[in-house]
Amino acid sequence: MDANLTPEQSLKLIESMIGQAKRSFHRMSFYFLLWGVLLTLAMVAQLFSAQFGISDRGYGWGAASIVGAVASAIYGAREGRREQVETMADRVVMWLWIGFVITLLATGIGAGVAGYSTPVGSIMILTGLPTFVTGQLIRFKPLILGGVLFWVLGTVSFFVDPLWMGILHIVSMVFGYIIPGSILKQQENGLRTA
Amino acid sequence: MAFAPLDQVLHNQLRLAIMSLLVAVEEGDFNFLLEKTGATRGNLSVQISKLKEVGYIEVKKAFKENYPNTVCSITPKGLSAFEHYVQAIKGYLGQ
Repeated sequence: MDANLTPEQSLKLIESMIGQAKRSFHRMSFYFLLWGVLLTLAMVAQLFSAQFGISDRGYGWGAASIVGAVASAIYGAREGRREQVETMADRVVMWLWIGFVITLLATGIGAGVAGYSTPVGSIMILTGLPTFVTGQLIRFKPLILGGVLFWVLGTVSFFVDPLWMGILHIVSMVFGYIIPGSILKQQENGLRTA
Repeated sequence: MAFAPLDQVLHNQLRLAIMSLLVAVEEGDFNFLLEKTGATRGNLSVQISKLKEVGYIEVKKAFKENYPNTVCSITPKGLSAFEHYVQAIKGYLGQ
């Protein structure tokens, strides 16, 4: 068999194996669905509270963050034990999102302590970065478009009242996280192996 | 025209497949290589050992969920050999 391996066959084999390996990135739809739903619910809770004059003191955001962090940690640990392969793209995506969460926490805590209003527009614009880059790294167009949507709606939200700012946040979560996450989940169930 | 000699370690279907997979990922475990190459466990083990012997790959043995797990990654020597091999076959193909 090996003596008959021609240069054409060698090249074809190399291309085929590299092509297969490139499709073996970690499952990540869970995180987009989880955080998309939690952050949408937190914003809905905030809008309802504001509409009915109830002070929610940010409990919705706090609860969403804690539930999301715990669920992400449990899922991440479980998946970590199952993974067969680690690519450079996996590592870049992981550290990109860890860096994003740290940036978000620093911004949220800093703004909260200093008494600034919640910088929703800035956070949406910031969210566009890891979403867009992740989409590019895994070559997944819905996530790339989701990242662009975060940037556009985040910018628009500086020019609208708080109610519309909240609505834009929900729209960006649905189209930037939840829908791409659902499509990605279908693809992962059908194609991915890692 | 003189053609560059092909590296006989790499000029083997299964060893070349293993190397190609490991070039594309940072590290892959035994089951990943088994699934992607479609080889038998025995043959895969033998070829992994050969690649390790010549220093083209690094093999780490660990435990994953209480089961032994072999994780392979390409070494700089292996990467260089792979690049030379690709250049050589491109030479044969006139690319």
